[in-house]
Amino acid sequence: MSKRLTVANRDQCVGCFSCMYACSRTFRRAGSTNKAALRVRVYSGVEGAFSLRTCLRCAEPDCAAACPAGALAVQPQGGVRLERERCISCSACVRACVLKALQWDEEERIPLPCVHCGTCARFCPNNVLTLTEEA
Amino acid sequence: MQENLLFVDLSAQTSRLVRDRELFDTWLGGTAAGTELLFRHCPPDCDPLGPDNPVIFVIGPLSGLYPVATKTVALFKSPLTGELGESHAGGRLAAALREADIDALVITGRAPHPIFLTLDNHEVRFHSARTVWGKSALATERILRDFDPQDGRKSSVVRIGPAGERLSPLACATVDSSRHFGRLGLGAVLGAKNLKAILVSGSGAFVPENLKSYRDTYQGIYDKVVHSGEMRKYHDLGTAGNILTLNAIRGLPTRNFSQGYFEGAEALSGENFAKNWLVQHTACAHCQCGCIHVAEIREEFKPYHYRTTKVPYDYELIYALGTQLSLGSPEDVLRLILAVEKEGWDAMSMGCTLAWASEAFLSGIIGLDVTEGLPIQFGDAGGYLEVLNRIRTGAGRFYRDLEGGTAHCAAVYGGERFAMHFGRVEPAGYLTGENALLTWIVGVRHSHLDDGGYGIDQKLLGKPQPLREQVAAQVKDAQWRMITNSLVTCLFARSIYDGETTSAALAALGISRTPEELRRLGEETLRRKHAWKRACGFSPEKVTIPEKLFSVQTSNGPLDRERLAERVRLYLELADIAPASQETGKP
Repeated sequence: MSKRLTVANRDQCVGCFSCMYACSRTFRRAGSTNKAALRVRVYSGVEGAFSLRTCLRCAEPDCAAACPAGALAVQPQGGVRLERERCISCSACVRACVLKALQWDEEERIPLPCVHCGTCARFCPNNVLTLTEEA
Repeated sequence: MQENLLFVDLSAQTSRLVRDRELFDTWLGGTAAGTELLFRHCPPDCDPLGPDNPVIFVIGPLSGLYPVATKTVALFKSPLTGELGESHAGGRLAAALREADIDALVITGRAPHPIFLTLDNHEVRFHSARTVWGKSALATERILRDFDPQDGRKSSVVRIGPAGERLSPLACATVDSSRHFGRLGLGAVLGAKNLKAILVSGSGAFVPENLKSYRDTYQGIYDKVVHSGEMRKYHDLGTAGNILTLNAIRGLPTRNFSQGYFEGAEALSGENFAKNWLVQHTACAHCQCGCIHVAEIREEFKPYHYRTTKVPYDYELIYALGTQLSLGSPEDVLRLILAVEKEGWDAMSMGCTLAWASEAFLSGIIGLDVTEGLPIQFGDAGGYLEVLNRIRTGAGRFYRDLEGGTAHCAAVYGGERFAMHFGRVEPAGYLTGENALLTWIVGVRHSHLDDGGYGIDQKLLGKPQPLREQVAAQVKDAQWRMITNSLVTCLFARSIYDGETTSAALAALGISRTPEELRRLGEETLRRKHAWKRACGFSPEKVTIPEKLFSVQTSNGPLDRERLAERVRLYLELADIAPASQETGKP
């Protein structure tokens, strides 16, 4: 069994960014949206809606394939783990993620792979994100 | 720790960063720090539409770091009142300023031609806005989000609509989706500076001094915001829930404050809006409550072809553009809100001005010769849309005067006795009694948000209280709101951020302030604001009350002239508000 973060109810998102703040606060000790391993994208005007970009935990991740330094290790259950000492800060991984789910830490110049812990989901007031058990 | 002041000179098109930790050590942030900046940078005798009038945006120590610390304070000299201009807005601006590591932004001068600014962290760029000048507030956001090279979907976009370009003192500045620096004419001040928009984005991340107590305090506040009942009403029905509450106690201003009962209240109720029109909630950045209510109107523009528009609504908009104009159809009210949104007016001020025009027409003070053949009548939604259209397209003099506001129109055309304004500011939607009126007279912004006067009126029903106690409660509330507005947290969360919680939240960030110290800072800030207002020539004792109000029923019965004067006197005594002085008193 492993856990996977999923977007269960995109259309219930109110755009409060609570998920991004929770991730930054918990993993990067920071009050910000800039250190989060997921992104809520916003669109213009009240006519817009929100789009959530979270890691799919791919079995054959495009991000890892794009890395010229082998810094993103593919995990047995899918998804990647950053081997920081190998990262050359080229950001090819982030550009390779079509979903724009893999985020980039501007300050430290490293990618921020999601570990599927569910902290963001716990701080979502509207059940947009959930953590599901998978075989 | 807060310290960064970013100064932008539009005349020279330069910017500079000044570090001033003492400002924030002394004045905390938000409105208290902003008032100090106003003393430093805004000559009280300056022309509100001249280059000397600065626009000061300030966030506070909790901005972007705690739930519901979502507001940015704007300070300037108001072109509507000629004294303190102060307006607060949510959206994503406070969060973006925090990530850009800008604690205060001070904009001075006047650009030689229309421009907009992009702020990417501390880097300021000046761009030509010639192509977006004249665009609606909504179109401007759509265009500029795409322009921003720094992944515009992250930025906050502040902009004015055409009303601000025309220097209407009712013009607002719109922030992101349907949040506004609504009141007191910031839109005109920006328009006079040839500044169409400001985009803010940042890549910073704030590391709190004490991580464990930050997380613990955060969790406690989060639980209250999301799991307690404290904010539920704002999320569920939203402020529109007030329609039936106020109508039940005959405190819902109707047809230019003729009465407190609107016969069509059921249709305009928050309940009916939610059931039949609400399609979406949205939130300001870092607010898990999400009080922004968005309705949808669907119109057939030719057989089997429809256009669909989303329109945000709130209590004050339904009052100003609904009950005040005797409009009982939600669809009509939403159409008017949309027209006001696009032009970028303050909805309350515009609604009250239309109500004045309707009563002026009804009473014969203005006729078809003045209105160029258009009857302006209560209940006529099509007529009101046409009025707004004529203002927008620059029709004759009367229509240009209308966007000057109620006080301006009454001075030009007459009808002062029913011109609803207090110190030139059109009131919010409360005909609850004398406490609400006192707020509009002595409140620093003449706003219902300055203290809980209308709430005290509602608590008084059937439970009389000595006058001094009523006023004392108002003063105490006004003083504490100075702290709320310095943090800067949303007023809807004021019951959550009490003295103890606020102290704990600040302590986790390395800022030491006891609840008692905060209270004293609130008292001093209120006094200093009044000192600045007096330096501009304002005096609360001289605010006149529209004569008409002495013949209408409020929730608490008729108003009493002497008692109101006594309330003003008591307020100034209890708040220890001194005569005009520009001295920098420190708390």
